[in-house]
Amino acid sequence: MKCAYNETWLSNLQLLKETKEWQKNKIISPEQQASITAAYPVAFFHPNLIIRILLFLASLIALSGVTGLLSLFVLSIANGTEQIISALCILYGIAAFFFLEAIFIRTARHYKSGVTEALVYHAVGFTLAGIAGITSGNTHVIVISCLALFSFTAFRYLDLVSTSAAILSLAFLIFYELFEQGGILRQIIPMVFIALFTPLYFFLKLQKEKRENERWHHCIMLAEALTLLIIYAAGNYLVVRELSVNLMDMQIIEGQNIPYAFLFYFLTVTIPVAYIYFGIKNKDIVLIRVSLVAIGFSVFTFKYYYSLGHPEITLTLAGAILILVTIQLLRYLKTPKRGYTRENILSSKWGSANLEALVVSQTMGGNHSAGASEHGGGGSSAGGGSSESF
Amino acid sequence: MRLEKLKELHDKKFITDEQFAELDQIISKKVFSVFYELRTLLYLGVLLFTTGVGIFIYLNIGDLGHVVSIIVLSILTLACFYYSFKNSGPYTHGKLVPATPYLDYIVLLGCLLFISVLGYLQFQYNVLDESLGETTLVAAVIFFITAYRFDHLGALSLAITAFASFWGLSVSPQEWYHNDFFASANLHVTALFFGAGLAGATLVLFQRGIKQHFAFTYFNFCSLIFLVGALVGLFTNHDSRGLYFMLLFTGCALTAYAGYWLKSFLFLLYAFVFGYIGITYFLSDFLSYDGSILFLYFIISCGGFVFFIIQYKSYFKREP
Repeated sequence: MKCAYNETWLSNLQLLKETKEWQKNKIISPEQQASITAAYPVAFFHPNLIIRILLFLASLIALSGVTGLLSLFVLSIANGTEQIISALCILYGIAAFFFLEAIFIRTARHYKSGVTEALVYHAVGFTLAGIAGITSGNTHVIVISCLALFSFTAFRYLDLVSTSAAILSLAFLIFYELFEQGGILRQIIPMVFIALFTPLYFFLKLQKEKRENERWHHCIMLAEALTLLIIYAAGNYLVVRELSVNLMDMQIIEGQNIPYAFLFYFLTVTIPVAYIYFGIKNKDIVLIRVSLVAIGFSVFTFKYYYSLGHPEITLTLAGAILILVTIQLLRYLKTPKRGYTRENILSSKWGSANLEALVVSQTMGGNHSAGASEHGGGGSSAGGGSSESF
Repeated sequence: MRLEKLKELHDKKFITDEQFAELDQIISKKVFSVFYELRTLLYLGVLLFTTGVGIFIYLNIGDLGHVVSIIVLSILTLACFYYSFKNSGPYTHGKLVPATPYLDYIVLLGCLLFISVLGYLQFQYNVLDESLGETTLVAAVIFFITAYRFDHLGALSLAITAFASFWGLSVSPQEWYHNDFFASANLHVTALFFGAGLAGATLVLFQRGIKQHFAFTYFNFCSLIFLVGALVGLFTNHDSRGLYFMLLFTGCALTAYAGYWLKSFLFLLYAFVFGYIGITYFLSDFLSYDGSILFLYFIISCGGFVFFIIQYKSYFKREP
């Protein structure tokens, strides 16, 4: 099975998106960009983000109209059983997939246009609802179909939402199956998660490096990040303890603790440290970002159980430490160290005079500096730059 | 981008040797930017710190330490502004390039700390009037001055929000969710005047060439406040709904035009969403007779809209 879009155009589009960034940052000239655009043609209909949202909303409303009319028609003739209606739902979902491929992708050459996303989710939704109806809500079947369908749409339509849904379905499937078995299997759920998702992470990393997988680059990066977060959550003391208490009715008496508590405390500390160590060492942006989230949550975990009762002082101190450490790091990276720079190398907000110096220093091999400094505090990293370029 | 692709561009003579050398550094990660990570951390630090200070003040009002805490906070605020003035370039009508990557955040920290001090003084000593109105107005003025002096879009958003709340308008979705926007009588009229007035002021400033890059932020708030006001008016005043319908559509047309003018599709999105809700509400009397008519309406209106955008896609290119 291949992805649904024309592969040459996809690879050209990826190339042009990057060269456009270079042009914006004045690395290459507009004339160069124009000649590259002419040499790498893209015939997709791929509008910008806002138009995509607009088309997505409009398509969803229009599709709800289609569904409404069809349901009126079906209900009026087949005053029939749930089974027939569910089967029709599945048929309708599959028909929506064919409609999407034949009309929008092949004929109108849409690529992630908003209409395609709306049709994909619409089709997946009806297929899943139909499966749920036919099996009268069998969780095993539903979760397995979720995993299968979302993996299919993530793979074929390069869809990021489907990618997250597929990874989360996989996690839920493992959790649910072990939980249903009961007994000792319930106890080892965290270990099973770590044992299964760690190889998955390395598998994804390998796939990302392969040339033929370039068009799935963003999907794989997202899957990598989610896998890392799941591994961390499975070893986190707070997650394990609260899930044990709430889902498995474990009674924790005063002075007692969950089994293997020391192990989970150990993992809560070591996993984020390992993430940030390898992230900085290998210049892996996914690891660095996930590690920041993980560090933040680890601090929260310890404060949650060993609180001094003054959250406002904790907040103020955490904020002050975070500000001071970050400013120190920014000052430290004023001249690039070991290839790290505080400049946004593909945006010209602070001019790129420093970038030249950086390139010189790198090519001349003349940087003498201590190792990468340790980070403190935590937090998410959703990309904090404020850009209103849409 | 993979190295092979870059080599291909180089081999086909699309990029020069120097450009290849520069880009090769970036793609092979010999140069690695932690720009967004550090900025996000700094922003989170400012957020945590000011939130913590706010709660701290709230919990300790009237305590013995309050004089000490207010002195400490004032010193911190002054330090932030001193640093900002010392390191920032002189005022210009155009864009101001920050001297250091963290200057923006020091300005933001100064602003937020100042508000904490102001709120504290208000609660403790009633420096200003009994009502909270004057405090928000003073806050808005300070934010506006900061925004213009240091060319700070974050401070500008804070200023507009504070100025709107001085008029009793809450510009946050959480408040709307709790029905605050709809609850007070005739607040939608205030919203209409506020939105139109602010838009007029923005146009005057733009004409004079003062901070033209602020126009996007201004119009973003203006259009949302005006359109929500018109929509609330349409929903709540059945008798004069013709008037509000016209206001809503004038607003939508102007918003769409602002989008064309500022080259931003975001305004087109606003115009579509509000216009569509308005039309659907206006037609609801005719649509509610029969389910199938409603569904047909959805198909024809939205399907037609999708068709329109795809037909005229050259107008909606990625780069407007």
